[in-house]
Amino acid sequence: MIQGRIQNFLVIGFVALFFVYLFGPLIVMGLTAFNTSGFPRVSPWECFTVEWFDVLMEDTRLVTGVRNSLLIGIGVVILAVPIGLAGALMLMQIGPRLRPWLYTVTIAPILVPGVVLGISTLLFWDRIGLMFGAGEDTIFYDGIFLTIVGQATFISAYAMLIFIARLQRFDPALEEAALDLGASHTQTFRKILLPFLRPAIGSAAVLAFLASFENYNTTIFTIVSSSTLTTVLASKVRYGIDPSISALAVSIVFLTLVGAVLYEISKRRETRRARAQMAVARGEATEVKKQRPFLTEPAFILFVLIVVAGLGTVYFSGTVGVEECKIIVKEQRQAEIKRKVERRQQQQMFQSAVDAQSESSSDQEETQEDSKVTAKGTEGYQSVFSPGNLQGEVETEAEEEEPVKGTEGYLNVFSPGNLVNPSSDEPDEEKPVKGTEGYQNVFAPENLTDQVPAENSGN
Amino acid sequence: MSFSNYWRAFFQKNGAALALFLIIAVGMWLFMMIILPQLFMLDFSIRANVPPPKFGTEEHYYTLEHYKYMIFGSAQSTDSFNIIDVTVFFRTIGAAIFVTLIDVALCYPIAYYLAHVATGGWSRLMVLSLIVPFWINEILRAFAFKIIFGSTGVINNFLVSIGILDQPYDFIRNDIALWAGLSYAFILLMIFPIFNAIESLDKNQIEAARDLGAPWWRIHWRIVVPHAKPGISSGCTMVFMLTAGALAAPQILGGPSSLWFTQIIYQGFNQAGNWARGSAYAIILLVSCIVLVLVMMKIAKVKFGEMMK
Repeated sequence: MIQGRIQNFLVIGFVALFFVYLFGPLIVMGLTAFNTSGFPRVSPWECFTVEWFDVLMEDTRLVTGVRNSLLIGIGVVILAVPIGLAGALMLMQIGPRLRPWLYTVTIAPILVPGVVLGISTLLFWDRIGLMFGAGEDTIFYDGIFLTIVGQATFISAYAMLIFIARLQRFDPALEEAALDLGASHTQTFRKILLPFLRPAIGSAAVLAFLASFENYNTTIFTIVSSSTLTTVLASKVRYGIDPSISALAVSIVFLTLVGAVLYEISKRRETRRARAQMAVARGEATEVKKQRPFLTEPAFILFVLIVVAGLGTVYFSGTVGVEECKIIVKEQRQAEIKRKVERRQQQQMFQSAVDAQSESSSDQEETQEDSKVTAKGTEGYQSVFSPGNLQGEVETEAEEEEPVKGTEGYLNVFSPGNLVNPSSDEPDEEKPVKGTEGYQNVFAPENLTDQVPAENSGN
Repeated sequence: MSFSNYWRAFFQKNGAALALFLIIAVGMWLFMMIILPQLFMLDFSIRANVPPPKFGTEEHYYTLEHYKYMIFGSAQSTDSFNIIDVTVFFRTIGAAIFVTLIDVALCYPIAYYLAHVATGGWSRLMVLSLIVPFWINEILRAFAFKIIFGSTGVINNFLVSIGILDQPYDFIRNDIALWAGLSYAFILLMIFPIFNAIESLDKNQIEAARDLGAPWWRIHWRIVVPHAKPGISSGCTMVFMLTAGALAAPQILGGPSSLWFTQIIYQGFNQAGNWARGSAYAIILLVSCIVLVLVMMKIAKVKFGEMMK
């Protein structure tokens, strides 16, 4: 009994952990889209913001990439869905000896590495273009055309699998009946088979579009000199990441969720309608209730309201008070840095006391001398840090950064042990230093004397 | 004669328009998109590397130099083998096998749970939530892993704050982020084949074994796993092939010192500009993956036909 309970507990724990693995990364990434921190992270949490979505919209390379991706997606749907349908129909009719061969060859592109498909497509059309003596600006060298063809190679196989699954439930007697009643082959296909396959065509089109939209391995070879969403994203992610990419992920997840909910609503309507028709057929009801137009469907209206309200709340709380919050965070950072500075200064005073003793007896170390010189230099910067220069102006930030970087160094200078530059591997480690208001008194000459601790404790 | 009969029957059954459409569409797919491009790539890989204007001339002779290069390196180098490329190749294959094993270990229990333990709405919800992460772009998924495994990522912050680690552990350099990201990417492709196979198992068999006193691990080993073998093999095949051929995840999550074989192919094309060598490497990848899968199927005694169901 107890063993059974432990087993149960383990199973549930495993399932729970599995779903943490499944969703954890996505949730963390989603949260980073709303943090003001310049490096995508959740902790330390700074301020809630939607500014990264604006950054996203201003990225023209990305916008072009999305446009190309949409274009390619539509092209792939147009090419792959008919091919998949033809493949499935062919497979149903072909003799039993040929069938496994055809099946294997058409399914193979799913398993062949995308890289290989991309390369072979590129080379093939390159050679064909050469044979026709076509120039560089013809379709054979057009990235978008090549990508559509390359992706359709394996996406057609996806579509084919969907059609096969649906065709297995098709009753051929329907077709025969239509033919017996004098319909032509084309009519039978259009009036019997196509309506039966309509749901499968819909899912195949959606799947084809999604598969095309997120493909990278094939696209990176066939796209040549243009770009798609995935290639732009990949280069962005490889060379420095920022939360606007998370913002993009959030948008994509949001759009797909909306799509899924709408699909669900329309599917429910469809089943309800089918059930009503069945009822009529059985004689239990006399008429199919007229369906309300989609736009006045209560579920749809509720959904739209929730979405609008949710977006509004997020947008409002993400834009109002962000600047204030940033300032608060900045101040907190500064306070923290100030504490560090104080600690260092105390160390440094201790050090200088020791130095004073050694100075009388021996030569100063070279490094010590250097540091003295630079320390003198800092006095010149003081005006830079006067509050008037800083008042929340963005343009000055860039300028600030230079001297401030230096200041970090100056603080260390005084304790020779710290001379090793605390180079940080993350670029935004420097950010907290941007707000320099807190430093003014640090650089006042009198700080260097014994009064400092007293004054600081007064603050 | 029988062949033309065959065609006549085909045209009669479908009507001229539809028959023509079927033949053109399938023919285009088979030859223009699948078979000929692969053959062209093969042809390209066994020719000398010359710029396009010289294609088909004397200088575009047949040679195996690119395959030789993969194994022995350039003629100038002093090493007896092309250590970098060969190492990367075997490391990629090894890592792909490792990722496949992780996925089996992760997905078999979940698939079993879905098929035989979870019920009704709960199992539907689970299936739905399995699909959700795969709506998201492969690159964004890799990006998510880069965020959580970074040196100031959630995992490092957590481990440092509760005192397990003194300082952040470099998950990216040690390939842990890469393995986690790759296993994550293909979970769905492993779960569904196994799920389909396990679902068709008669529950009474499990009940009978339990009544006869078999412990749970023996039930799995003797009844469930043999029954699910075709599903497990087809899941493994897909995950292995796609992992070995992955490009985005290794580019984003790979450490600075670890390359994936596809990255070498990519470099051959985009940086070295040696398309012939790039296609030779692509052929090597394709052929060795297929051979490995076939050998594994032979060892596991799985037939291709039952796997494809």
